[in-house]
Parts: sequence; structure tokens; C-alpha cells
Amino acid sequence: MLSTGTGIQPPPRAIDAAASTVMASAFAGRKRVLPILEVALLIAASIAPLVLKDYITVYATRVLILCLFALSFDLVWGYAGILSLGQSLFFGMAGYGVALLSRDFGVGSIFAVLPAGTLIGLVAALLLAGFLLLGRHPSSVVFVSLGTMTGAYAADRLARGSHYLGGQNGIPSIQPMTIGSHELSEGPGFYYLVLAILVLIYLLSRFLLRSQFGLALAGLRENEQRIAFFGYKVQHLKAIIFAISGAIAGTAGSLYAFHEGFVWTNMLGVVMSTQVVLYVLFGGSGTLIGAVIGTAIIEGLSFWLSDNYRDIWPIILGGLLLLVIMFRPLGLISLVLGERERVGHFGPSLKETRNAAP
Amino acid sequence: MDTLLIATFEILSFGAIVVLVVLGLGIIASMMGIFNFAQGEFVLLGAYVTYLVHSAGLPVLLGMLAAPVAVGVLGFVLEKLVVRRFYAAPIVAMLGTYALGLIIREAVRGLTGGLYLSVPEPISGSITIGSLHFATWRGVIVIVTLLVMAASHALLAYTSFGLRVRASLENPQLARASGISTGTIYSATFAFGAALAGLAGALIVPVFSLFADLGIRFLIQGFVAVMVGGIGSFAGPVAGASVIGTFSAWLPWLISPVIADVLVFVLAIIFIKFRPQGLVSGRGVNR
Repeated sequence: MLSTGTGIQPPPRAIDAAASTVMASAFAGRKRVLPILEVALLIAASIAPLVLKDYITVYATRVLILCLFALSFDLVWGYAGILSLGQSLFFGMAGYGVALLSRDFGVGSIFAVLPAGTLIGLVAALLLAGFLLLGRHPSSVVFVSLGTMTGAYAADRLARGSHYLGGQNGIPSIQPMTIGSHELSEGPGFYYLVLAILVLIYLLSRFLLRSQFGLALAGLRENEQRIAFFGYKVQHLKAIIFAISGAIAGTAGSLYAFHEGFVWTNMLGVVMSTQVVLYVLFGGSGTLIGAVIGTAIIEGLSFWLSDNYRDIWPIILGGLLLLVIMFRPLGLISLVLGERERVGHFGPSLKETRNAAP
Repeated sequence: MDTLLIATFEILSFGAIVVLVVLGLGIIASMMGIFNFAQGEFVLLGAYVTYLVHSAGLPVLLGMLAAPVAVGVLGFVLEKLVVRRFYAAPIVAMLGTYALGLIIREAVRGLTGGLYLSVPEPISGSITIGSLHFATWRGVIVIVTLLVMAASHALLAYTSFGLRVRASLENPQLARASGISTGTIYSATFAFGAALAGLAGALIVPVFSLFADLGIRFLIQGFVAVMVGGIGSFAGPVAGASVIGTFSAWLPWLISPVIADVLVFVLAIIFIKFRPQGLVSGRGVNR
């Protein structure tokens, strides 16, 4: 198919979701890779600070925060087929927001800043979704990606030019986050906090995507028109998932700001948006664990390679990404994960309800 | 009156630069349905080739002739090796060309050491009309842009190659059935679009100097311009580029440059939202 302009749709993802639901239940007895992978990664992540050196634990905390950010992009691109090339907008806005709260109002309590960051991400994403996705005519993927990219670019430019936001240098030396009277500085404590938040949001996303809402989203990704004909308000579904993903990116951004201790314009702009696209495509979009694995591998390689091969590392990264897109469009996760399991099953288990429900 | 004339000239020459950058992007997007995210890096590469030739001690003009050829050849090779695989999935094509762009950009960043490198204008000096001075090189850019535009249009509208390109655009199956090798046509079109970007890079490098992120700036501008103008026709991207280029050059005279830069994009996005088909809602090349 070679089409111009109008016929642009997300890449076909093989099996029709509804059909595979039936198949998945028929093969439910087979060995499943996904839960094993998830549990193994969780165990590895839980014991990591005990065996790693302190400075690596600090680095690992940053990676976990970026995993959270990657999850937010995976939700919109991997599940709803919205190519948000400006995901960093929500990440960075939340980061700047909590940095300002800390600088100008002295607010550093975790129970104030995390909800604030999440809310900033949510509201920003809702507004942008309202403009880009809702309306009389459905928006093309190219338009949405261009719109989100422009949003991130504009925010970057404005922050660079704003004296209040610290211009090029950003906002330095943010006070540490506090829980009650305890100051949370980088190290194992922060690590486990982030891990807990990551696991919580991961499980919430998993629950959401395995519900009827997730089924509608998967259908939307596969064939938007068909879902629209079924009577779903496609644009509303997209706007909802976009807002949720913005909220998650906001949580990640506020954690990042407090972990690094400063915010700067790259958090808002094209640089960070690019990073998150790399993570998710590399690991495998359309599976939550793929986003996490992609982030961990890229950041891990980056940690190891950028010391010795600082100059050519970005070139290697681009080359790897190109190879993955060309030969493994579903990401590295597709090496171990079958198509059937990737699509998964939705709603209550079909085994029990097959005879009951029509 | 004098400042008005000078402002008009500035706006005209900047508009010409944007048109030049967007032309290749528009041709690839309109004729092949591929949004080439590496286009900005093709511009960068054209600039880099010019710099290489200049630093080898050869005349800059020679570099400017070499740039479109080198970038065109590279475009041809990349189409054969990579882009060809993506025709079935335009979104994946965006990501794939994005990866290509990343590789080129970082390679150039490594080669230039992340510095701003300047290339002198091959034709320096200024033209004086009455009490007004115009930079000659800016004038050359305007004239070359007009020539390239006319030549591209003539190539697509009046030659047999153009006919085959248009046939492949209108109906690939029928074109193949009529004995046109659409694969070769796509390679040639992509190479042509890349060569135009290379030429643009070569011409603008004396104005902007060479740095690794040169392409990104033009990439967003180029995409916005193509969308504003309308995909699918020859006139669309050119019209969009003229509008965006004019606004980008004109607004900084009124308001602060940072706000102006952002405002142009925001206005453009709002325009596209309410008129998705763009300024020119036709398809093909008008004769």
C-alpha cells in the first residue's frame, strides 16, 4: 500500500485482537513468558541496591524514573497508536512545576509535590489532547505527532528565553524531597521509593489495559475505523489515554527533578522526547514490560559505553534503533515473546464466562 | 521607506531559504507519502560537504556543486537499502528515517567536534542601489531558489520522467502494469528530494554556519510548512513554505524573536487543525 496523506494508519499488528482473545483462552494452559519476565525483573530490581555500589544505585534510580516515563509513552503509542513526539512536554512541565514549588514556596513534601507534578502532567495533556485529538474531524497521525513535537519545541524555546525559569541553565539546586521530617536524598531509600511507585503504576496500567477499556484501545490501534463503526467514541478514548499518559509522565518528571536536584531545558524539549521513543521502540512497544526493558538496556549500555566511546555512542544508538525498526519492528521483546501472548487476553477470564455470557 | 525595502528583502531571502529546504521534503511527502524525518540531516550533510571542500582548499562554489550530487547519491543508496522497506507503513517510515537522521546528525557532530564552523560566501560584497545595500549572497539565494523551483516544476510537469513519477503517484498498480518500474521511480524521486536538501544546505551554510543541530531547526519548520501548504501537490508545499518563511522572517521585526519563533508554529498548528487539507487542496502537478 502506498498512499499519500489520508491513508496513514498505525502499523498493522498481525492478529485481530478479538479473535486472539478466543485463541488465548484456548491455549491458556501453555507456558507463558510474560509473568516470568515480570517477576524476574522485579526480583532483580529489588535486590539490586544490596549488591550494587552506591553510585550505581543512584544511576539505577534515574533509570527507574526513566522507565516510568517510557511507560507513559508506551501507553499512547504502543496501545492507542498515537505518536506523541512531544511526551517530554509533560515530563518537563511537571519537573519545572515542582522545581518552582520548591524554589518559590519552599514546598518539598512528597505528599504535595508528587500529586502536584502528576496534576500538571494531567492538565497539560488534557488541554493538548482537547486541541489535537478532539474536534469534528479525526486528526491524522502525522498531525498529532507534529503537534506534540511542536508543543515540546515551543516549551523548550520559551523556557530557554524565560528569565523566571532560569533560561539556558534551568533551575539549579532544588531542595531534597521530604517525607514528614525525613529528607529523601539519592541512594537506596530513593531507589526503593521509585521502585514502589513504578510497580504501582505498572500494575495500574496493566489492570487498565486488560479491562474492556484496554480491549477498545487495542481495537483502535488495529483498525480505528472499525472501532468507530462499533459505536465507540474513538477520539474520546484517545484523549483519555493521552491524559493518563500525561499524568504518568508528570509523576516521572517530578521524581526526576528531585532526584537530579535541578531541572533544565532538555527535560522539556526534543532531546528527551527522542530518548523515550528510542527506549520504547527498542524494548518493544505494545507491551508494558518492553518499555521497561528497553529503557534498562539502553541506559545500561549508555552507562557502560559512554565512558569509553563517548563520541560514537549516539551513532551506535541510532544504528541499533534502525536495525530494530527494520528487522524487529516489535522490539527486542519479540525475541522471547510470541505474538499471541503479546496481544494477550482482555476482560474477565473467558474460560469461566464462555457459557454464561452471550 | 528605506528600512521597509531592506526588511522586504530580508523577508524575501529568508522565505527563499525555507522554500528551498521544504521543496525536497514536499516532493518526497507528496509523491511518495513518506514523511522523511532525515530531510533536515540531508540539509546538514549538504552544508558539511561544502565545508569539507572548502577546508580542502578548493573553491566554495565547487563544494556547492558537489553537495547536491553527494547527498543525492546517498539518498539513492539509503532508499535502496532502508527506506524501501517502509512504504507499506508510513508511520514506521517516520521512525526509520528518524533513526537515519540521528545517525547522520551524530556522525557530523563527531566529525565537526560539536563546533560552529563557518564557510565564507563564495560571492561576497553587497549591491548598492541608491542608498540601500543588499548582501549579494542573499540575492543569489533568492535567484537560485526561483530557478530550482521552476526547474523542479518543469521536470515533474513536462518531461517523460515527470510523467512517470506522476503516474506512479496516481496509481502505482496501473503504472506498473503499463511497464513503469515504480521501484526505480521511487529511488530516483527520493534521491532528487535528497539532492534538493543537499543544495539547500550548501547555499545556506555561509548564512547560518555549520553546526550539528542545523537540520533539526529546519525539520520542524519544513514539516509545518508542508502541512500548512497541503500534501499531495507541487504547489502546496511551496505555498506553505512561502507563508511560514515570510512569517518567520517578519514577526521578529514586531515582537521578541523567541515569542515570534513559537508563535509561527502555534499559529500554523491551529491553521492545520481547522483546515487539514492545507492551503492547496489538490493533488498532482498543475501544468
